[in-house]
Amino acid sequence: MVFVRLLPMSFFAGCENTWPGSWIRHGQWAFAVTETLHVMVLGMLLGTIIVMDLNLLGFGVRRQSAAELASDLAPWTWSALALMVITGIPLFMSEALRLGKSGPFFYKMLFLLGAILIHACIFGRAKSALGIGSGLGKLLGALSLICWLGVALSGRAIAFPFLLHFGPTP
Amino acid sequence: MSPLLSLVTWLNDTPFSVTLREGYYAFPIIETIHILGLGFSVGTIMWVDLRLLGIAMRRRPVADVIGQLEPWAIGGFVVMFISGFLLLLSEPLKCYTTLAFRIKVVMLILAAMNVWYFHKRLPRDRSQWDRQMPWRAKMVGLFSLVLWLGIVIAGRWTAYF
Repeated sequence: MVFVRLLPMSFFAGCENTWPGSWIRHGQWAFAVTETLHVMVLGMLLGTIIVMDLNLLGFGVRRQSAAELASDLAPWTWSALALMVITGIPLFMSEALRLGKSGPFFYKMLFLLGAILIHACIFGRAKSALGIGSGLGKLLGALSLICWLGVALSGRAIAFPFLLHFGPTP
Repeated sequence: MSPLLSLVTWLNDTPFSVTLREGYYAFPIIETIHILGLGFSVGTIMWVDLRLLGIAMRRRPVADVIGQLEPWAIGGFVVMFISGFLLLLSEPLKCYTTLAFRIKVVMLILAAMNVWYFHKRLPRDRSQWDRQMPWRAKMVGLFSLVLWLGIVIAGRWTAYF
């Protein structure tokens, strides 16, 4: 599946013509700077996510309860996510037509949506229902890690489409 | 030609390097592993730094945060180092000539010295740190945070220039 099948072509063309889109596409430093910010925040975001997920699975920071850790990490996770979206949207706009036709980009957004929902669920339930190593905690922790792995892999596959191309080498 | 440049030129033409560079899957797969390792190493190192600076996880004992995250930071770093070394082997000449990569290597050495200082020059007993964080430990956290952010930036920029 690709986004151009779901949304009209004019949407993608319109995105590329907005000022952030054309600024990033034509500016000499704009793309490099924005993408560097995006990757920098990625480290921060993955860091908060991984520490939380490992705790739920019973690894890493174990002496703190899921509730304690969630209250420590939630503000960092959500602000990192906000920064990812703020830097990610202009990056998308700069090559909306190409990304709209990209299969890996579609799966990246799908995994991302799943990952965000699971994390909202984890933070929402951490206060009451999630014990370290509990069945639900392990399930949510594992699902979250799998979703983020999917985001990372399909994200890389946007640049190297054959990573998600199963079949004979193109 | 400097000895280092001759070494790099020789490395660049070794069959292993050529295979990594020209293979279809090798580079993107190693690079993906490198980025996943980034989450584990930089992601966990950053929490230790933020705790040392008193910015995040303030209510948790310092020794607790460091002790529990350190194995993951080290494990992630090993993955980063091996995958990064393979990436370097795949294009030695390009790395040699890229300013961003040279800066990255310098910052990696500084980060290693920072870790060495933290473990060898600061007291082993960190139980007092919850009441009073020594300024030298705070500096280690700040240096580490700045260096790792710089390493990520320089790493990304190696691909551009």
